[in-house]
This record gives sequence, structure tokens and C-alpha cells, in this order.
Amino acid sequence: MPHTDGPAPELFTLSEVTFVAGGRSILDHVSDHVHEGHVTAIVGPSGSGKSTLLRMLNRLEEPTSGSIRFRGIPLPELDVRELRRRVGMVAQHPAMLTGRIDDEVRVGKPDLTDGEVDSLLVRVALFHIERERRPADLSGGEQQRLALARALAVGPEVLLLDEPTSALDRKAAESVDAVIASLVGLGLSVVLVSHDLERAAALTHDALVLDSGRLVDRGDPARVTYLEGG
Amino acid sequence: MGSTTANIPTWLGVAASATLVLIAILISWRERLGLEREVAVAALRALVQLALVGALLLFVFDRGGLPAAFGWLVIMVVIAGFVAGGRARSIPQARSHAWWGIGVAVTMTMGLLLVLGTIDAVPRVVIPVGGMVVSTAMVTAGLGLQRTADVVDDQRARIEARLALGLSPREAFLEPYRTAMRTALVPSVDTTKVVGLISLPGAMTGLILAGVDPWDAIRYQIVVMYMLLGAAFMAAVISARLAQRSLFDDAERLVRTLQ
Repeated sequence: MPHTDGPAPELFTLSEVTFVAGGRSILDHVSDHVHEGHVTAIVGPSGSGKSTLLRMLNRLEEPTSGSIRFRGIPLPELDVRELRRRVGMVAQHPAMLTGRIDDEVRVGKPDLTDGEVDSLLVRVALFHIERERRPADLSGGEQQRLALARALAVGPEVLLLDEPTSALDRKAAESVDAVIASLVGLGLSVVLVSHDLERAAALTHDALVLDSGRLVDRGDPARVTYLEGG
Repeated sequence: MGSTTANIPTWLGVAASATLVLIAILISWRERLGLEREVAVAALRALVQLALVGALLLFVFDRGGLPAAFGWLVIMVVIAGFVAGGRARSIPQARSHAWWGIGVAVTMTMGLLLVLGTIDAVPRVVIPVGGMVVSTAMVTAGLGLQRTADVVDDQRARIEARLALGLSPREAFLEPYRTAMRTALVPSVDTTKVVGLISLPGAMTGLILAGVDPWDAIRYQIVVMYMLLGAAFMAAVISARLAQRSLFDDAERLVRTLQ
């Protein structure tokens, strides 16, 4: 899915981002950028620091040194709650927080109207679902899409997705991918983490390849060098 | 309080009751439980500790007056905070949270009872009643902190999911906090429910032993149960709310707790 509209504005700018935990270097001077309107994949083997990098983008983690800017503004200068509403996140196994579908969509925005809840559920292809069902009882793919609706409810400009489909079977993964593709088509930017570049490539404009905390390659997902399991 | 005609054991009587300790030691020896030494040490410790406390109480009642009684309470609160805070090492500054929780609970409870004139402002009353309040506050503050530490471990993903939706730490922590508080406080509520049915509580037992009319003794016990309930809730909630604040950093991140 090549992007052809010329250079898009930078959404995130990473400068020399380093993260050390327990004496171990998780990220090592990573500098790069994420473009608006793109799907950017952070790929690499497990333990390469990609989830940590993703969590830094909404300040669930803080770099040990280096800096991250969102639309040119250093993250610490933004109100953290506002940042987190503008930069949504969905975990690999999203926690279901309530006992009803509608309540789940409203967690971050309790004043959504029924109509707004409906249209969010349409956007994630869950409109057919019985509203009385417990979110925790839904299938993995449905939970993933419900978590997307919950994240979209607060009106983010970009979504951070941590291995959105790796825990799902092929059919469920395709349904989640289709929803992500349609959201991108509507202008949403996405940063996703994946250990499987081949899977991610279909959705992705840019790939950042991490290995042992270092950025080893970046660019067109069809061309970057990524030794799986390496 | 009522006059005492009850027969309080003499020191000779105490010595006689030590036969029961000997029986315990004998049982341990016969059954090869290996607890003889420990039983002997425990019995001796009880004797020495209580004798010291008795001597100290005697001194406070005779000469120390109210300031000494309140000083005693303060020392109890300090010790209780150490114990309760030690139950949740993974929470930053747990001891300080426990001190505040217990301190405020004791101050409010005792203050209210004294101001309303429900109990007498004399050392003979302030120390034992205060002691009950401190020990209850210690237990629930400790439980509250411990349960808070547990929910942080168990529900980290749920808390972070809420933070990631732009909710405040207080909002993100509300559900786990309520779970923690319920499990910490249910025992206190249950104890209050079954009082008299399953257990004859200490204050009432003591008063009856001292020769007080049971009808007078239960009035005292009702006050005790009510004050302990109030103290339990205050201590648990204040400690846990303070813990919540120390669990999130300036950027509203859930801090990594030490396992």
C-alpha cells in the first residue's frame, strides 16, 4: 500500500531515544520519525524493544535519555491526559473493563450518545453484536475490535497497536486487519508493533526494524532487511 | 464503672495456672512436637511483657495523667504503622501511608468519643480503648495496603488500559481500589455482624470478669464495636488513597512496584 501524496508531516519525531531498565539497555539511541496518515510498523524479534518504544509514544514509558516529539512538541510539554486521548492505544490482549458492550465503548468517554456508540461499533464491524453480551465472553478478534472502538471513542489522531493480530487465528486476524485498513482509509495514522513483517507488510507504508534495541533498517516494508527470529 | 467483688487471681494463683503451661510442654514432649522450648519461652515472654506493661500502666495511672496516656497512644500508632506498612513493601512509602491512616483513624475515633463524652478522659480508659482502636486500625490499614499491592500486580493491564484512554490515575485506579477496600474491610463488617453470637468480645468479657453487670458491659461493647468499625474504614481508606498517589508518577504512569 504505497503512499503517494508526497512527504507527509511528521507525527512523531524520535531523537536518540534510549531506555535502560535494570542495568540492561532496551533501546539504544533510536532516532527516526513517523509520518501522519501512514501505517508505520515497528518490527523486530521479541525482546528487541519494540513494545517499549510503542509505550513511549503515549508516555506509558519514559526514555532514559533522548526525546520524543508529537507534532513538533516534546511529549513532556503536553498534558499527559490530552496526549493519551490524541494517541490511542490497544494492547495485544486488551483488558475488557466492563460488563456490557456499550459500557465498554464508553469507558474513556462516558457521555457518548447511543447513536455515537452504534457508529463506533459499525466502524469496527461489530454492529451485529448483541449488546447484552459480556465483553469478556467475546472471541479474541471481537475483543480486539471492541478495544479499537473503545480507543476510537475518545477521538485519537493516531492509534498505537501492539501485535494487534498475533494472538488471533487467521480469520479473526483478517477481520481485524480489514478494520485497521478501513480506519487508515478514513485518515487515521497507525503505529503498530509486529514480530512478523510479512503479515504487517500488507498494511504498512513504513517499517522500522529493531534488533536488540538498535534501529537496524527503515523504509519500504518490501525492501527493509529483517531476519526473522534473528 | 461498677464495683469489683470479683476474685482476681493472686500471684500464687498465677503460679498455679503455670501448671497448664507444664501440661502443654508435657504434651509437646510426649507427642514429639518439638515445641517444648518454644512454649516455655512464649510463656515466659508473656509473663515478662505483661508485667512490664502492668508496671508502666500503674505508673501512668498514678502519676502520668492524660499527657502520658496520649503519649502511650502515639507510641502504639508508631509501632502499628511499622507493622502495617511492612505488609506492603512493594508500595512506595508504605509505612508513611500506614502511619497517616492509623494516626488519623485513631485521632478521629478517640477525639469523637472524648468530645461527645461517650468515654471518660482518664488514662484508665484512654489507654485500653485507644489500644483497641490502634490495633484494629493497624490490621485494616495493613490489609488495605496489602490488597492494594495485590490489585496493582493483578490488574496492571486494566489500569494501564484506562490510563491509555486519557483517564486520570484516580479514575483508572477506582475499580481495583474498590476491590481492594472491599476485601480488606469485609472481615471488620463480619466481625461486627456476629458479635455476641460467635464471640464474646474482649471488652465485654473483661468488664463481666471485673464484676460489672452484663447489661452495663454490653453498652460498653456496643460503643467499642461502633468505634472499631469507624476506625477500620478510616484507616484502610486513608492508607490506600495515599498509596494510590505514590503508585503513579508525575506523568501519570503506574510505577513499577518491587515484587
